[in-house]
Amino acid sequence: MSSNPSTVTSALDRDLVVRRSAAAGEPDWLREQRLAAWDAFVRLPLPPDAGDEWRRTDLKSLDLASLRPLDPPAQKPEAPAGLVALVGDPAAAAGLRLVVDGAAVQSRLTPELAKAGVVFTSLEDAVRSHPDLVRPHLGSVVRADENKYRALNAAFWGGGTFLYVPAGVEVDLQLVGGTWLTAEGVALLPRTLVVAGDRARVTLVEVFGSSGGTARTFADYAVELVPGAGAQIRYVNLEDWGPNLWEVGIVRALVGRDATVNTLMIGFGAGLVKTNVESRLLGEGATSEMLGVLFGDGAQHFDYHTLQEHAAPSTTSDLLYKGALKDKARSIFSGLIRADQGAQKTNAFQLNRNLILSEGARADSMPKLEILANDLRCTHGASTSRLNDEQIFYLMSRGLPREIAVRMMVDGFFGEIFDRIPVETVRGWLSGAIERKMAGYV
Amino acid sequence: MAVTNPLGIDLDQYKFGFHDPEDKYAFKSRKGLDRKIVETMSHMKSEPDWMRALRLHSLGVFEKKPNPTWGGDVGQIDFNDIYYYVKPAENQGKTWDEVPADIKKTFDRLGIPEAEKKYLAGVGAQYESEVVYHSLREEWTKQGVIFLDMDSGLREHPDIVKEYFGTVIPPEDNKFSALNSAVWSGGSFVYVPEGVHVTVPLQAYFRINTQNMGQFERTLIIAERGSEVHYVEGCTAPTYTSDSLHSAVVEIIVKEGARVRYTTIQNWSKNVYNLVTKRAVAYRDATMEWVDGNLGSKLTMKYPSVYMLEPGAKAEILSIAFAGEGQHQDPGGKVIHAAPHTQSSVVSKSISKSGGRAGYRGLVKVYPGAHGSKCAVRCDALILDDKSRSDTYPTMEIDETDVQVTHEATVSKVSDEQLFYLMSRGINQDEAMSLIVRGFIEPISRELPMEYSVELNRLIAMEMEGSVG
Repeated sequence: MSSNPSTVTSALDRDLVVRRSAAAGEPDWLREQRLAAWDAFVRLPLPPDAGDEWRRTDLKSLDLASLRPLDPPAQKPEAPAGLVALVGDPAAAAGLRLVVDGAAVQSRLTPELAKAGVVFTSLEDAVRSHPDLVRPHLGSVVRADENKYRALNAAFWGGGTFLYVPAGVEVDLQLVGGTWLTAEGVALLPRTLVVAGDRARVTLVEVFGSSGGTARTFADYAVELVPGAGAQIRYVNLEDWGPNLWEVGIVRALVGRDATVNTLMIGFGAGLVKTNVESRLLGEGATSEMLGVLFGDGAQHFDYHTLQEHAAPSTTSDLLYKGALKDKARSIFSGLIRADQGAQKTNAFQLNRNLILSEGARADSMPKLEILANDLRCTHGASTSRLNDEQIFYLMSRGLPREIAVRMMVDGFFGEIFDRIPVETVRGWLSGAIERKMAGYV
Repeated sequence: MAVTNPLGIDLDQYKFGFHDPEDKYAFKSRKGLDRKIVETMSHMKSEPDWMRALRLHSLGVFEKKPNPTWGGDVGQIDFNDIYYYVKPAENQGKTWDEVPADIKKTFDRLGIPEAEKKYLAGVGAQYESEVVYHSLREEWTKQGVIFLDMDSGLREHPDIVKEYFGTVIPPEDNKFSALNSAVWSGGSFVYVPEGVHVTVPLQAYFRINTQNMGQFERTLIIAERGSEVHYVEGCTAPTYTSDSLHSAVVEIIVKEGARVRYTTIQNWSKNVYNLVTKRAVAYRDATMEWVDGNLGSKLTMKYPSVYMLEPGAKAEILSIAFAGEGQHQDPGGKVIHAAPHTQSSVVSKSISKSGGRAGYRGLVKVYPGAHGSKCAVRCDALILDDKSRSDTYPTMEIDETDVQVTHEATVSKVSDEQLFYLMSRGINQDEAMSLIVRGFIEPISRELPMEYSVELNRLIAMEMEGSVG
């Protein structure tokens, strides 16, 4: 298992951590943080635990040792067309960062926001330019010692994003970060840190894609969201990786007093996705909305684990994950609502709906509740169904061709979640992506 | 206040437990488990070779299997500190008069004879590991219905037993089914011939009496084509200070068009580990119903299952869990859709109070080809104070497109408005709480035979005493 000697003699070793940190001119505290993560990486087992979480997703064939962390390219590449398409209308964004193979190819922020003190830059730069904003939070929300993949990211992260919005600043237009990978057979280890001051408001849309290829490629990312009291962070994560890429990710928000975090996960690409999305409601009045949209075809495998943890009284969470599955695709939804002792007046909702479009597709759903408080309202639901023949027949009897009727049904299935996505460009992209997935389906 | 229910059980006594002197046993194995004990047990029961071989094989499986790492904490069970076989001195009685006096006394306190006169077709009362009393009304005997304790079933109908025993739940299924297969004793054997409808429920009472004695009853029910039977299992145990293990296996075969309902209200004393494997297979157009109430025990892990193997099979699981102080109720159910047009419904109601932990753990599995199948799971939990806990762990594995599977769960507290309304009508707070809780479980309690429904309500009322304030 983890003590496999090849782990140490391979592309990854302690020395590589030191060399990369020195080459980037990182401060001592960050090097030490990375080295501690390296030690955790060596120590921690694979699969990360013997329990339920890794039972349905098998990453055994992924040889971590052979995957060298991506080195930034010597020359600044152009933004590929695929990335441009993912980002959509750049004019809709108040700030835009495009990163190709770990190197920033474009980075802009409206002067008004810059003047207001908003920081939107690479995490590497922020470590140097704003250490007082980065250091207290980096690695505190997603810790290196949680499992081997998180340790790997903490030891070698690169191509990261940092967003800071000062107290009281409200940003109306979204900030967009685009990450693209042209290399294959490598490990991409991005890390995102969003810090919002008290009563600040901001939306960050991150899109991910790759040019594909045949060699197994690995993306292992961590997202840390830290809203101040009364702040609101909207975070959108849209992935349309090439089919040779496997993704392991963690998005976690620590939601304090009266703060709100909305997350939206969109999974369309990749060969395999195993991602955790967690909102930990730590302060009274904290609220979190968690949305997920996925569409699998071919032999795609999606495994989402969500956590709504109510650790303080009067907190609210509302989760809706919807997945459509075609061909031999498979999805796993495992969601836990946990209300800790003393979390009175909790409102928690969780709903997972799956639409199965082909024989051979499969959806597993595990909505779970662990409730240790009594004065609360908590419900969850899950359903799995296929297209309703009668409804399609009805639409066809009104003169619609079958293809259009089916498309309307699928749009209807996703409709209730689309209505809750406030970012126009994301809705537009989703609509086109569903059409591409449905092409040729009768 | 002595409360008497229709079964004649003095609930105040019942609540605190009672036990008879322990020196009346003809044979009591030493503590612990090895080949020698299993062989001795099989020899004393004069079992056929195949059963002895199965026991020994199961012992090997038990020794190899690890404890489950999920559910409740079973790490505290010391398997070497348990008596695996206790045989009462007296042989099986045929009529009530032949039952020994001190055993009768125990039954009197459980109210079995009265219950029999009024309601029952047959009584299988398990005193320790051996069933000592059995009767079956003549009309059923004439129809060919067999209702025996499992040991007698094996002696008198070895062919039927050999054909089905261990086919629904093989020893390899889990650590506790392996343990049961190695050391089983007692339990019921029910055979209902083709087309026979048993209109009055068959009932069996089970008791644990020896301190540190595991009870490993084994029940096998075979319902032939077009038959119908309702089997009722009740469990009570006197309260002891050291932990006791109860690990039963229940196998049910429901053939084409047949219907079986299996009802349990377990009220083991609060030091018992209740780790039970219950499973039914349902063939074409057959219906299997589990009604499962869990009030007692320290830890219950029990997931009655229905494997729907042929088209048109139906499954219904109704589950109630009530966890008070120091209790962990981890019941649930599994429905396996392995054929087209199969239907299942699961309803779970759990209540936790005074630091107890109750919930639901389940599985819905739909295999490829099980098209046109439907499944609905509904779990409601009521938490009565801020020290208690409720868990819901449903799992849905859907391998087929043409299906409808839904799951819904809610967790809530007793509504202040309801409480206020009842109190404004002059009902005191304790009683009002009790009424609301009984209303909460009513969808399930109404499915019970009347006397059980009454008993359940009394037990809930008793558990609710002093729950307010």
